[in-house]
Amino acid sequence: MIRIAGAVLVIACTGYLGMAKARKYALRPRELRNMQAALQILETEIIYGATPLPEAMEVVASRVDKNTAPLFYQAGQELESMTVCTVKEAWDQALNAFSSRTLLEDSDLRVLRQLGNCLGMSDSRDQAKHLHLAMEQLKIEAMNAAERAKTHVKLWNYLGFLTGLLLVTVFY
Amino acid sequence: MNLLSTKEGSTHKPYRQILSILPENIRDLLLRLPVQFMDRLEEIRLRQNRPLIVTHTAGDVCLDSSGQLTSNPGDAYVITGDDMQRVIRMVSNSSLYAIEEELKNGFVTLPGGHRVGLTGKAVIELGKVKTLKYISGFNIRISREIKGTAAPILPSLLDRWGRVKHTLILSPPGCGKTTLLRDLVRLVSNGVPELNFDGVTVGLVDERSELAGCYRGVPQRDIGIRTDVLDGCPKAEGMMMLLRAMSPQIVATDEIGKQEDIKALEEVINAGVTVISTVHGTSLEEIMRRPALKYLLSLNVIERFVILSRSKGVGTVEDIIYGSSWGTQEVRR
Repeated sequence: MIRIAGAVLVIACTGYLGMAKARKYALRPRELRNMQAALQILETEIIYGATPLPEAMEVVASRVDKNTAPLFYQAGQELESMTVCTVKEAWDQALNAFSSRTLLEDSDLRVLRQLGNCLGMSDSRDQAKHLHLAMEQLKIEAMNAAERAKTHVKLWNYLGFLTGLLLVTVFY
Repeated sequence: MNLLSTKEGSTHKPYRQILSILPENIRDLLLRLPVQFMDRLEEIRLRQNRPLIVTHTAGDVCLDSSGQLTSNPGDAYVITGDDMQRVIRMVSNSSLYAIEEELKNGFVTLPGGHRVGLTGKAVIELGKVKTLKYISGFNIRISREIKGTAAPILPSLLDRWGRVKHTLILSPPGCGKTTLLRDLVRLVSNGVPELNFDGVTVGLVDERSELAGCYRGVPQRDIGIRTDVLDGCPKAEGMMMLLRAMSPQIVATDEIGKQEDIKALEEVINAGVTVISTVHGTSLEEIMRRPALKYLLSLNVIERFVILSRSKGVGTVEDIIYGSSWGTQEVRR
């Protein structure tokens, strides 16, 4: 009896782990799309509204998905504070805090980090160029992510349970 | 961003507002200077890869990396590119794209009315300066509001019915023209009960944002309760706009000299509105040599000329000349 319960537990655990992994693959494309949308809003604020960056960040934070908002909210807060830091420093700080709670991968974060080099520090035409570049790169990442999601989601969903099953058959 | 709040007390130390936009290392250097020196501070000049220079009432001097004054530029603290980036970010509120219009004019006004002049590489579009990039030079001018400078001369600018006369303030740069004009505007706008002078509506064209020190359109200086300010507006156009829209009794503007300014001034005078203005120059004879001003004087409409100098400190009133007689009357020597 205990054996059976143990076997079920093992399968459930590995199954759960597999599904969690699969979920990550499934959600990353969506997060990337949300990030693109956020940059789009930021661009609108900068180009058409000429909104100062701290304010623009807060506008973005208030209008995007709750998983994406913290990055912009924190960046806005950093910029609002009295400290004489550069935009890059404020952005990096926000990104570092953001990286621990997002499904975005290093390659995605690199794109955003690079954006920090020029954010706010040039005329609007130049800003638009850099934002477009970042959005374009995120789009490519999103496409790759979707491609990978197709295969990996199924794979990990099965792999978890099957690993559990294997363990059970070997040790039963 | 409420970067430079005008709290009680900070108005007495205008340089404190400036310090908050400077990077920490430079701020620390300046804070080590004696307070008496800081009180006389006029400008802080930052030029990338060149020494940090501060200008005070008696000249300029370099600062070395331990915060000591030095006359030898070789010992001075050298401004780095990183310092510049930090100042740019503070001056522009992290948004250079939002101050393109200001960059075109070459200066930005900070809250508190302090002005920051900028130099860099001009971006040209259709033959005109569109904006600046690669900003590599700052001149941070500490603006001081000195109230009461105009009070002693106001009586001689009034006619016997208590109306203000057409007045031209003239002096070389740095003698307190702008300060005097600002205070005069404040007085006539608020009214002076001791002189039985009720406040009148004043229209102020502040092309260089020096008089009212507007930050986002709101005057940061005390320019009186009945003063309407057109900030950053070309003088000639601004005077006409005010005349049409704001029904001023007095129109005030800074540093006239161009042909179109004089034309607009004439228009204002013909509309029965009093004019108060300033002009660069040391004497009437000298400004007579400039064609546009010569024309203005030939109209014989300006009734009072106030001549300033630095002979007894900034803002010494040398003379007040009555327009009709051109005779001199000594005041407050």
